[in-house]
This record gives sequence, C-alpha cells and structure tokens, in this order.
Amino acid sequence: MIRGKRGREEIGWRRSRGTGEMSDLDRQIEQLKRCEPLKESEVKALCLKAMEILVEESNVQRVDAPVTVRSPLMDPFFSAFPPFPSAISLPRNVCSVLVRLPPICSEICGDIHGQFYDMKELFKVGGDCPKTNYLFLGDFVDRGFYSVETFLLLLALKVRYPDRITLIRGNHESRQITQVYGFYDECLRKYGSVNVWRYCTDIFDYLSLSALIENKIFSVHGGLSPAITTLDQIRTIDRKQEVPHDGAMCDLLWSDPEDVDGWGLSPRGAGYLFGGNVVTSFNHSNNIDYICRAHQLVMEGYKWMFNNQIVTVWSAPNYCYRCGNVAAILVLDENLNQQFTVFEAAPHESRGVPSKKPAPDYFL
Amino acid sequence: MADSDPSAASPPVSSSSATDTASPPMLCAACAGATASWSSPPQWSDSSPPPAYRPIRSPAINAPTATASIVLAPVPQPLPVPPAEPPYRFEIPSKRISSPDDIRRFHSSEAGRHFVGFVATLSSSVRGRKLSDPIPSPLPAPLSGLLSLLHTLALWIDEIPPLPHASRYGNPAYRSWHARLTDEGHSLVVALFPPSDELHPAADELLPYLLDSFGNAYRIDYGTGHETNFAAFLYCLARLGLVKEDDYPALVLRVFATYLDLMRRLQITYSLEPAGSHGVWGLDDYHFLPFIFGSAQLIDHKYMKPKSIHNQDILDNFSNDYMYLACVAFVKKVKKGVFAEHSPMLDDISGVPNWSKVNSGMLKMYKAEVLEKVPIMQHFLFGSLIKCRVENLAKLN
Repeated sequence: MIRGKRGREEIGWRRSRGTGEMSDLDRQIEQLKRCEPLKESEVKALCLKAMEILVEESNVQRVDAPVTVRSPLMDPFFSAFPPFPSAISLPRNVCSVLVRLPPICSEICGDIHGQFYDMKELFKVGGDCPKTNYLFLGDFVDRGFYSVETFLLLLALKVRYPDRITLIRGNHESRQITQVYGFYDECLRKYGSVNVWRYCTDIFDYLSLSALIENKIFSVHGGLSPAITTLDQIRTIDRKQEVPHDGAMCDLLWSDPEDVDGWGLSPRGAGYLFGGNVVTSFNHSNNIDYICRAHQLVMEGYKWMFNNQIVTVWSAPNYCYRCGNVAAILVLDENLNQQFTVFEAAPHESRGVPSKKPAPDYFL
Repeated sequence: MADSDPSAASPPVSSSSATDTASPPMLCAACAGATASWSSPPQWSDSSPPPAYRPIRSPAINAPTATASIVLAPVPQPLPVPPAEPPYRFEIPSKRISSPDDIRRFHSSEAGRHFVGFVATLSSSVRGRKLSDPIPSPLPAPLSGLLSLLHTLALWIDEIPPLPHASRYGNPAYRSWHARLTDEGHSLVVALFPPSDELHPAADELLPYLLDSFGNAYRIDYGTGHETNFAAFLYCLARLGLVKEDDYPALVLRVFATYLDLMRRLQITYSLEPAGSHGVWGLDDYHFLPFIFGSAQLIDHKYMKPKSIHNQDILDNFSNDYMYLACVAFVKKVKKGVFAEHSPMLDDISGVPNWSKVNSGMLKMYKAEVLEKVPIMQHFLFGSLIKCRVENLAKLN
C-alpha cells in the first residue's frame, strides 16, 4: 500500500455534506483509490445502487463530450451533487445544466484488465473524475492482479458521479469468461468465497453496450455485427443477460476490424471480422464520424484503420506484465478534436506490494 | 481481450452468394439511398468448419471453495503403468469429454487413475535428483529417439524464422512450423519404434497426441492442455513398453527437460499466446508439469527452501539443475513489475514450509485445475491406450 502525499486532485475528491464528514461512498472511493478492497457487504450495497443507475441507461448511452470544469470553479458545483442516493433523485437535465459550463475535454479509455496501478497512471495523465468526463470501453477485469479494486473503483465513481463517467460492457464482463481468465479466482482468493464475483457479474448484465458521443462518435468494446445496421437496432436489444454466444449483442463485444471484404469469420470463435466497406457503410448510414473501440492490444496504444473511420484504443500498458506496449486514451475537446495521450505502466516504486496471503488450500 | 491476433488468421471469406438474399438492403439514415454493399456474413461449412477451440462454451467447473474438501482430497499417488497386451486394436484417438459428468467418469476410470498415477510416478522418480545427475549411458533407444525427435523439431525453428508481424501475439510462421510437424510427424513417431516392429500401427494412435503437444496452429497458442497431451504421448509409450519405469528419471530429466526447452523457444520465437490463461491467478502462463517435477527434485534439499525462489543468486546458480527454479527465473525474465503482483500464486506458494508439501500440493492442484477442468480436458484424446470406458458409465449410474 502506498501512502504518498495527498495530491491536490485527491483533495478534490473529498465532498462534504455540510457536516464536514465524508459520506460512506466518498470514504469508499478514497479507500479504493488506495487500492484497498471493500467489505463484501459494501460491495453488495454498491452494486445495488449501481444497478439502479445503470438500468436507466440506453444500450447506446449518450455522452456529451465537452463537460469539464476547471477545479476551483468545480467544488461549489459538485457540493451541490449530494452523494447517492439523493443524486439520482435530481432530474438528469438539472445535472446537465450544472456541469455543462466551460468545457475542456472528455476522454475515452480502452481495456484495463485489472491493472489498478496503471489505471491510476491513466487518471494521473487524464485528470481525475469528475473533473474529467470519462468513457471506459469495457474489459475492466481479468488477467491482472487488481480486477476487484479496479472494477469497484470505477463502479463507485459511476454511482457517485453518474453523469461524469460512463462504463460500457466488454467481452470479459461475463460470467463464463471471468471463470477462465482470472476474475473468479481473484474473488475467491481475496474474499474466500465467490459472493463478490456473483455481485459483480450480476451488475455486468446492466452495463450499457455502447455509447454515442455528441451523435458523432460511436463507441463500443468490440465492433460491428452483421445483424446491426442502425443504432436503433442496438437500442432494441434486451441487454440484461449474460453475453450470448452469438447474435448482435455478442458481436458488439467480440468483433474485430480486419482487412477483409465484408465479413469474415473470427479466429476468436465469437463475433466477426469486419472490413473497411462495412465500416464506411455503417458510419454513413448512421451519420457518424468514426467508431472508437478497444478489445485488441495495440503496441502504440491506439491505431486508426480504414482511412480514419475506426480507431482502436488500448489502455493497459505492458499488458499481462510482459507485452511491453504503451497505452493510450483518446481526449476529445468541445469541438470533438481528438488527441491521444500515451502513457506507460506505473513505475515499480509506485505500485503497492500485495499483502502476503497463505498458500492456496492445495498446499495446506 | 487481445487474445488471438486476427490478422494472423486467414479465415475464409465467402464471396457474394446466394446467401446474400437474406440480408436486408442497407439504406442511408440521412438520405434513404442504398449504401455500399458487401458480402454477407459467411456461414460455417465443411470446408471452413468453426475453430476447433470453442471459447468457453461450457461453464468451467467452479473451483472447490471448501478448504476442508481440498485439504482432505488425497494426494495423487504413484501407480505402475499397465502394459498394453496384444492383440492390439489401435485406433485414431478422439475427443470424448464435454461435460463435468464426463470428467467424473474419466477420473473414476482405469485410464484416468493410471494417467494421474503415471504423472505422480514420474514426479517421485526424480526426488532429490538434479538435471545434471548422471543418467545410465547409453540411453535406451526409445529415449534417445525422443531426444532426437525433439532436436529435429528445434532445428525447424531455425529454418522457419518468425515473419515480420505487428502484433505481440501469434506469429503466423508458427503455422508453417506446425504444418511441417503434421507432414513429418508420422515418420518421426515410427522412428521411435524398434525396426520391423509389430507396434508400427500404433503410430496412427500416437501421432495425434504428438501433434497436440506443442500448441494449436489455428489459434497460435499453447497451454497446460497441450503439455498434458505430451504427458499422454509419453504414457502411451510406457503402455507399449517402450519406456520402462527404470527409464523414468531420464524421461523427466532429459526428455521432458528438452521438451521444456523446445517449448520456451517456440513460445518466444512465435509469441505463442497462453491458452486459457487465468492471468496472474494461474500458476504460470504456459506450464504446470515442470513445477511438479521441479518441486520433487528439491525435496529434502539441504539448504534450498521454497522461499529461496526470492533469492536471485540461487536462481542464477541453480536454474540449470532444478526445473522449478528455472521456471521462476523464466517468469522473472519475461515479466516486468512486482513479483507478488504478476505471479501471486508462486509468491504465496513460496511461503510453504518445505518442498515435499509443495510437491504434494502441486499434484493435487494439477488434478483439480487441469485434469478436472472441462475447458482443458475437452481436447483430451482417447483411443485404445487411454480408453474412454463406456462400460464404467453403467456401473457408475
């Protein structure tokens, strides 16, 4: 555990409710930012609150790009944002009015995969939530050591600042996938039971499938589906279920762009490969500028394809602790001008050392 | 997940065909005009079947959560390999496991018990032995045959360099390497048999195990399932009497060690993806057996304890002699960051008081986490030497 000097941006996290005391949620966010997991009962309560917020979101969640206020101005506004549950009792349009002041930018992030300290690095280069408006494209969990802390921090921020952070679902936000790629084992190992895994995977079913930024940038974890030609078709999917093995919902989370004509079979065994002509047509039909997606490791952190009609953003530096790649986030200003911020893995000295656990039961 | 690199694959793309009629015409949202058309999504066909690998189609067996049941589970014990008796009825082996019920049947069958017993026997055969310990010389013919087989495969790596390729994972040159294995595998297996031997027909049964021992050419990945296939290949040789129990130390310290070296080269040269990896929560990205054999080697070692893996001097000086240390050294070489973060299992196991406990734990864990997992064992092959005994089914029910 790292107990560094509390930075200015961290002070910005403390929100009072007039009494000078932090709410439970703010305390939990502070705790998670120190990479300390919540108690099982707290996870359950947090997931229940998150469910109420996420269930209201569209399958194509609208994101207004320029929604950032400079920090000195910020505090009074956010003091007016009482923590959950009163926050959601505020009409959404009031929230929008409150935050839609001097815009700076919003930021899109790709896969994280439980690399908590690298996500802290992301917040360091991108700015803290809620000062910066974030869209995360899924794959928060699996493979890395800190999937629990990573996902719970993002979820707590979602509950605390529902209009300042958008989380959409990746193919790893699934019961079946997490049983193989680490999140299940992690919950079992850290909590001694699978209850936390159950709460989290239940909330996965509520995550939105895609986002639309200022009606111009379509964002999704994987890519397109042959069953989908319009955004309205995505809006009609009943998403509150485990990721199916095929069909539109599966494809959105699993497909990859590739140099093929039309559609190709995916070597992943789920989703499709889709070519440049598919993207051209989709973007034209839906009147969007480009597609922003994640799902594939890119050594340079981001990669444009098909004449800038689709971009892959990857936000897990030195993926799996061995790939040596850099990571990126896509920063959009109020005019949707893009800029990529590239960052590297958090240095050794700023990564907390996991506490020693007894050996697995097989060795007792 | 950036698992497989799609650009490495060459999935067949159907041309515009009769299936096109089913797709709705694409209209522009703004002007309602027709937009660019393209081929319709391809259908699986005989000429382009779905990938053999079904990514997580069957739910994984939930890891046992009750500490007591894991602690009380018996440690797999050494068991002699029953020799295969003529008349032989060799067959092309096939996959038989698709559900947790099939797994239970396998483990209560003779084949299941003897296969686990074989692994435990190999493990106990190298107790306290170093890789550099003298081995009876000359090696029995089948063992030296195995070594030259593995050396041949290693030579091909030099002859088939990786292609210039953008992605971190899955260099397509691996497919050429594997295609060569498929082409020449049969004669490599036959070369293991004594000349003009009645066992020659067994090559057809053994070959599929060998082909699955070095990773999957379609996905360009490798994992504990492939490693288990290599163990099954060795088990079949033992059943045929080509490898005898006296040979086991050499089988582990020479043949398996050479296999491990070959796998490391394949993994690095062609950037093989870890198959079905549990991320940091697995023991290792690729291997399991060297941790079993390696911990057996270190049982009762005078001064090296499980916690010695944290001592870089020990890793540097003794990796040549002990497989377990070599595996830890390899992990530390390829992974950057805090050891306890990228390898928490190995880190936690380093707190176990002695190697004997590590070894028995590894055997239990191998059975539970590899041999009892449907996603891994659905690829395991059954033939006449490793029999899927249907009659056991009736007994069980």
